[in-house]
Amino acid sequence: MINTNFKESLHALIAPLGAIALTMALGFLLVAAISDEPVLAYRELLFANFDSLSNFALFLNRATPLVLISVGITFAFRAGVFNVGGEGQLFAGAIATTAVGIAFAGLPAIILFPLAVITGIAAGAAVGWVPGILKVKLGVDEVVVTLMLNTIVLLFTSYLVNQVIRDTTAYGAVSWKLPEHIWLPTIPGIPGATSGFMIAVVLSLVSWVVLFRTQWGTEVRSAGTNLRYAEAVGIAAGRRVITAMLIAGGFAGLAGALYVLGIGHRFEQNFSPEYGLIALTCALLARVNPAASLFTALYYALMLNGAAYMQISTEVPRSLVILLTGLLVLLMTARLTRKGSNNQTFDAF
Amino acid sequence: MSYESLLASVLEQSTPLVLAALAAMITLRANILNVAVEGMMLVSAFSAIAVGSATGSALAGFSAGIFGAVGTSLVFSTITLRFGAGFIVAGLGINLLAAGGTLFVLERWYNSPGGLRPLGFPEMWHVPEDSLSFIPLLGPALEGQSIIVLLTVLAVPACWVFLYRTPTGSYLRAAGEDEHAARSAGINVVRMKFLAVTISGLFSGLAGAQLAMDKLHFFLPNMTAGRGFIGLAATLFGAGHPWATASAAVLFGFFGALGDRLQAFDIPAQFVLMLPYLVAILALTFSRWRIYVRNKPAKL
Repeated sequence: MINTNFKESLHALIAPLGAIALTMALGFLLVAAISDEPVLAYRELLFANFDSLSNFALFLNRATPLVLISVGITFAFRAGVFNVGGEGQLFAGAIATTAVGIAFAGLPAIILFPLAVITGIAAGAAVGWVPGILKVKLGVDEVVVTLMLNTIVLLFTSYLVNQVIRDTTAYGAVSWKLPEHIWLPTIPGIPGATSGFMIAVVLSLVSWVVLFRTQWGTEVRSAGTNLRYAEAVGIAAGRRVITAMLIAGGFAGLAGALYVLGIGHRFEQNFSPEYGLIALTCALLARVNPAASLFTALYYALMLNGAAYMQISTEVPRSLVILLTGLLVLLMTARLTRKGSNNQTFDAF
Repeated sequence: MSYESLLASVLEQSTPLVLAALAAMITLRANILNVAVEGMMLVSAFSAIAVGSATGSALAGFSAGIFGAVGTSLVFSTITLRFGAGFIVAGLGINLLAAGGTLFVLERWYNSPGGLRPLGFPEMWHVPEDSLSFIPLLGPALEGQSIIVLLTVLAVPACWVFLYRTPTGSYLRAAGEDEHAARSAGINVVRMKFLAVTISGLFSGLAGAQLAMDKLHFFLPNMTAGRGFIGLAATLFGAGHPWATASAAVLFGFFGALGDRLQAFDIPAQFVLMLPYLVAILALTFSRWRIYVRNKPAKL
């Protein structure tokens, strides 16, 4: 019994680890082809994050939004919604928190902080609700709606940050700074690392319990596996799907809120290196398991920040990481064995 | 402005969108939601400019664009059809790969992460004046346009003929509509899907070449700016029919053109740029809502 369980989980690990290993190997060949110091480049890419405490803090900061969004995406995927809208939901949360923080800067922290966070979560959830309700009520394809919503939200935040809350003294599309009394404290002992990371870790573990050890989680997953069957056995499957999308959006919104409160301290239009898409990758690599996506998110944070250190010391362009991400996404759901063409994305779960 | 010149500007503006929509349409008929059009267009635009400026030949650039996109589509079809990767995930991977790959090459070999702007770039072949005047309305509008615009106008009926009047087209649609039934009828489903993705690569290649080579003559990172997705929306709005899909794409292109005008009336640019995406969501919702109302059981 234990033996089969162990074998199963080992088998589940092989595919994502294989994809990661293959990508890293291909990346190494590419780096070796263009650089004289491929080993140094890869050392910087993977280990420069741990060279100093401040690098490590930046690494945790990078991981925080990734963990939160990918845990949220897990809820959506488990409910059978292919939510590609993490980016839009993240931006909605970030801009909403910023707007509230700036508009009511006079309020005491005890009121303003929760207000700003809740607004961020609500904004993200609202953006997640739209594709959810459209899918459940009318069967509108959620991939298209979330893709389109991403652009719409990004354009909307660009309008707000350029025309409404722009810091006229700063360079670039950035908002005014948030009042200092609602900034999220740093982790004790690691200066510069946002305590949002601890929240992300706790939430990813809680999410695992909720999805896999509660009745509600079982209902969500059954709605995702077979909506009509779930409805036939008396589960309000449609409602579970919509709630899961609200949670997914809420998590991404929280990621945005914690980013502006704990890391950026203001809204910047270019604060995200496609966190939404990368978080989706993390969720899929983690085989749609919230606890495992904690680790895949950390791996990605490592790569994203490592790329910058690599570029500084070896002149290998940091866009290598986007390229490698693309490769990884491409290889992630692929199998080496020959299979029929009817295995769709959700097979990978 | 005369009708001809208005039509000409609509044709020119919407050509990349129509091609992107046709690319997504062909795959949709084989039951593949193709989000990789964006990436294939980007590869095409980049290789068209890179090769075109290096060789000084428009034909070489054009061919490089087509080959780039078709090559990307082969990667896409191999990884999905041969190795069983999910179409949406692999498509997003292709997009990232295209964005990262072009940027990587720009940074590493051209030393200009901002884009590729060759000083001189060969002109593409344009439809000569007075060559098509015998066709009312459409003829004069096509004169002076690039060859790709002409090809696009021909591609729409060609797609219709292919899908509805050739055996291969029927097999392709059958493979998309019911895979198992098609397989029992002896149709090679995988081959049909492979064909659909390849044709989609061809159209994406034309779209990218038109985008980069016709007027702009340069490449910018991410210059496709979501056109692949608007094309996808047009396809879904047009329910995968060539005429409806092309009309939807032209409509979305028209919104883009309208956007430029509205900007003059103090409407922020961002809201104008949102229009095609909003229209796409609303149109999709509306078309699904109509089906929903039609299929609703009558009240007793």
